[in-house]
This record gives sequence, C-alpha cells and structure tokens, in this order.
Amino acid sequence: MVNLGSPPAPRRSKGADRLGTSLPGSRAVPGRGEEVEETLKRIQSHKGVIGNMVVNAEGIPIRTTLDNSTTVQYAGLLHQLTMKARSTVRDIDPQNDLTFLRIRSKKHEIMVAPDKEYLLIVIQNPCE
Amino acid sequence: TATRALPGPLGKAGRAASAALATGGAASAKGPGRPGQLQDETLGVASVPSQWRGVRGIRGETKSCQTASIATAEASTQARSHAEAQVQTEAPVPVSMLPPSRLDTTRLAAFLQRVEAMVIRELNKNWQSHAFDGFEVNWMEQQQTVSCLHTLCYPPAQGQGLHVTSISWNTTGSVVACAYGRLDDGDWSTLKSFVCAWNLDRRGLNPRQPSAVVEVPSAALCLAFHPTQPSHLAGGLYSGEVLVWDMSHPEDPLLWRTGLTDDTHTDPVYQVVWLPEPRQSHRFQVLSVATDGKVLLWQGVGAGRLQLTEGFALVIQQLPRSTKLRKPPRGETEVGTTAVAFSSFDPSLFVLGTEGGFPVKCSLTAEEAALTRMPSSVPLRAPAQFTFSPHGGPIYSVSCSPFHRNLFLSAGTDGHVHLYSMLQAQPLISLQLSYKYLFAVRWSPVRPLVFAAASGEGDVQLFDLQKSSQKPTVSIKQTEDGSPVYCLEFNSQQTQLLAAGDAKGTVKVWQLSTEFTEQGPRETEDLDQLAAEVAT
Repeated sequence: MVNLGSPPAPRRSKGADRLGTSLPGSRAVPGRGEEVEETLKRIQSHKGVIGNMVVNAEGIPIRTTLDNSTTVQYAGLLHQLTMKARSTVRDIDPQNDLTFLRIRSKKHEIMVAPDKEYLLIVIQNPCE
Repeated sequence: TATRALPGPLGKAGRAASAALATGGAASAKGPGRPGQLQDETLGVASVPSQWRGVRGIRGETKSCQTASIATAEASTQARSHAEAQVQTEAPVPVSMLPPSRLDTTRLAAFLQRVEAMVIRELNKNWQSHAFDGFEVNWMEQQQTVSCLHTLCYPPAQGQGLHVTSISWNTTGSVVACAYGRLDDGDWSTLKSFVCAWNLDRRGLNPRQPSAVVEVPSAALCLAFHPTQPSHLAGGLYSGEVLVWDMSHPEDPLLWRTGLTDDTHTDPVYQVVWLPEPRQSHRFQVLSVATDGKVLLWQGVGAGRLQLTEGFALVIQQLPRSTKLRKPPRGETEVGTTAVAFSSFDPSLFVLGTEGGFPVKCSLTAEEAALTRMPSSVPLRAPAQFTFSPHGGPIYSVSCSPFHRNLFLSAGTDGHVHLYSMLQAQPLISLQLSYKYLFAVRWSPVRPLVFAAASGEGDVQLFDLQKSSQKPTVSIKQTEDGSPVYCLEFNSQQTQLLAAGDAKGTVKVWQLSTEFTEQGPRETEDLDQLAAEVAT
C-alpha cells in the first residue's frame, strides 16, 4: 500500500510519462491541488474505469473527467440517491451509517464513496 | 219414461206446490196446501258485539309538528382586485460546474486520501469478479414477435391511387405524418395531393380519419418534423417548392413557403432536413435536396416566406476523384442528389446520395465556389470532399449511424445495401436484400447493430449485424400483393415502433420485438470492431 502522505518523486514521473505532461511545482512537497489531481488520475487509470468525479455536499460537481453535461447529470442524480440510501440505512438502525454505494447496471457499475462534505463517484465497465 | 210419468202425479202436487210458493215463504212453512198472503216483513238488526275490541279499548292522542321559522340573511361578495399570472415551462438552464477557485483543496485532498484505498480495492475486486456473469434482469414485458399495431390510410388519397412517399414522426413520438404522391411518374403533373397526420396517443383513433389533413398543390415527396416544435412540419414537393406547415392549425396550416422563384429547385425535392442555426442553436432552418444538384438552406422570414440563406451545388467536374467514375461529359453538369443524411457527431458533415449511385461526403463549411450557371441569389458552393465507390444504380436513401461517427448505410435501385466507413471509398459490407429496388434504409436509434430496409417487393427487412451479416433477422410483409414499401422511420421516443408506408397508400405502424429495442452489453464495442475493419 503506497503511503499517500508524501508522494515520492518516481511515482510522480510515472504519472507524467503516462500523461505526456510534466507536473509543475517543486519536487519537495507537492501542492494540495496536485495531490487531488494525482489521486483522481490514479483512479482513472484503473482497468475499465470510464470516468470519475468529485461532488460537494450540495450536489455540485467539483472535479470530473467526463464532459460537462454528463457530469452534471450524474452528480445531481447520484447525490440524491446517496442521501436517500443513507437515510434508509440510518432509519433501519440509527447506529449504522452508509459507507459505500454500488449500482450495477447492464452496461457498467457506478461506485459512490460518501462523506460528510464530498462524494467520490467512479464509473467502471467491468468487462466480462 | 220419466217425462211421460211426470205430468200425472206431478200434476196434482205440482199445482199445490206452486200455489204454496206463490203465497210467500214464511206462511208456507206450515205445509203445502195452506195458501198465505204476500207480505213484507222486516226483522230486527242482529248484532254481534266484538269481544276483543272491548278489552283493548281505543286510545288516541293528537299530535302536531311545525318547523320553526328558518332564519335567512342576505349577503354578497365581490372580488375587488385580481391579478393575472401565467405559467410557462422553459427549457432548463444547464447547471454549470463550480469554478475551481472556490475550492478548499486541503479538505478535498484529505477526503480523497481517506477514500482512495477503499475505492481502488473495490475496483480491483469488481474487475476480477464473476458474480454477475450471465445475470440478466427483465424490467419490461418481453415481446417475442413483431406485430402490426395500426394500419392507417386516407381513403380520398387512396382513391386517387396515390402512394405514401414519406413518413415522419414528430419530436414527442406520438404523431406520425405521411405524404402522398406518386413515385413512378416521369412527367410534370398538377395532381393535388395530401399530407396527413395521425395522433396515435389520442383515444378513439380512427385509422381511416387522420387528425390533420393538409392539401398540397403538387405531389409531396418528403417530410420532416421540427426537432423541438411538435407541430411544425416541413415538406418538399414535386414542383420543387419547400413548405412548412403548423399541423395544430388545420384551417390555416401553411407557415412558410419558398414560392416559385429563381432560387427554388427546378426539380422534385427528394429530402428535407431541419438543421440548427450555426449561431443560435434553438432556432432551425430547413435544408432541401433535389435532383437538380442543388442543396439549399432556407430560413423562415416574416410574411410566410422561406428565404435562401446558403446554397450548394454538386457539379460533376468538381467531385474529388477518390474513386473511378465514368468519364464526365463536356460542360458543367450537375449531379442529381436524391438523399441526405447528417452525421450525429459532427453537425457540419453530411452525406449525399446521388443519381449516379455514389455517395459523396460533404461539409457545410466548404468554401469553394460551385461551377454552375444556375441562377441563385446567394453564391453556390461546392460541398464535396470525398466520393465513395458507387452502387449499380441511383441511391434512394442514406443513413448515418447514431452510434459511430464513421459509419453510414446507403441503399439504391440495385437492391443492395452498402455499409461505408467515412475513411475509405470501398464499402465495408455489401448486402443484396432485394431483387427489386430498395427505397429506404434507416439505422435503429437504440441498437447500434440493427438497421431496417424497405424493399420493392413489399417487405420491411430488419437486419441485426450481431446475429447474421448475410440475411435479415426478420422480414415483415407489409403488402399482400408485393407492391413496394417506399419509406420507413423508427420512432426515437417509443423505440419499439417502426412506421412504414407503401404503394397502396397505407401506413403501417409495427411494434418490434424486444430483441430489437434493448441493447445488449457489448454492442457498441462490436460496432467499433466492425468499423475498424477498414482496409489499410
């Protein structure tokens, strides 16, 4: 398991090779913005991932790898669904809480990692 | 014997008895032989007292009731002030993303740190999991066969022997319109014709009575409903005119017309298409294609006139020599265009089908001027960029795939359907579907590998390239006597419906089986694979 706290230089250059661009900034401590971008690109590079996005607590997308209209649609709908799922879990058992939400459809699988302030949505095509 | 003996003895007694009877009842009680006087006697009244009534006795009381007087009062109300309010639904404003400057990156980074590990673990598990192999869920009722939902016709048009030349579904998918005309006339004709529309979602649909009928001065050859207005319909006529109607006003439907000016087509208009305007994408203009070689863009201006905004002319000398064509004749000659299809991925790219049998890839942004002497108020440009290898006869229909940017189909009088890729001149697949002409070919709006073709033998053939690339999956017989089917259109809102019009003047609406309406899991990839079989 890679320690995410201080990304070492070799891993950053691997990311640069993959993308064909070099990341700006100093090598000692990468800015938080770059860390965010790196993490999302790491997730995006996994097998079968079609796209991912981060949505804030109001359902407005903050970062995405898909086009604007698709992102907005996914963000709004999945935010509502996640809130509903969370309230379902807590209604059944108030001590319980939602940790992860997966929706499997004919064409792909949508994974939502919820949190107090943000939602991470990943869409994967599990090719079988 | 009794009667004879009677008078004798009865004679004496009889006289005595009758004498007794004559004297009265009471007196004769003493015996016969003593006559009495006739007298009236009254006897006293005999009464028998009731025993039970005396015991009970009669009890009676008098009661009365009266409703109290009803209190009434008069009052009146009058609204003193009122306000008018209107409600109008507008197209939703698209939500935009948060600009990155208003972002708290630290907390976002911390959140991603927390969840990344879990998400990656789940992604990996998912990639290797076989938990859902072969797992299918049926949400909709499975329809196994193709059935005919409606058979629509307009008897006055059928009485004139008119054919259905074109069909269009409106933007909501509930109204189907058809144009009547004749496709086998070689001459100019002044035949009056009709455009009819049926609203299939209305109760009490009468298949022989359209919900709107418009009379047109000449045979109508093509129709296209507006992409966002459910009642606006554009049509092209045999005389070369292009008209736009509003089908919700049956008394006065004509909105715009080109009239017969120098700009109008001089030959029958075979196809009309609505295009979004380049700068204002919610307004549309009409593109018309005719066999005089001109492709014209019209815009509706005030007073009901369609004005020419842009025009293109296809001249044989200006066609790119990407494929061997016949030696061009001397002089500038126009190439008759019979069909047009726009790419769903690049709105300025379109494919023209020609009378010479070769599809031509064109662009709206072409700049080169066309070498033609046809009069026109706007300069005509040469749109052709690439010419594909020809069919054995004129092309009647082209259709661009809604799922792949490079694929399109063309069908023509040689009975073949060719699947072309924009990247090469030779077709990828060439299928013979009919020994007669093929009049229309359309890709399915939901299944990337399915298309339908209308044949001159009277059937609608549905092809599923996933199942078989040689023969049709389903062949629907539309006409009993084999008269040709001239047009067909899929309904993009209700995707199980397919409408087809034939030479008998009827429009049949077919309901397709579920295998034609539900996408399989890997179809888009299979389509990509098919398109990639381009010979390098």
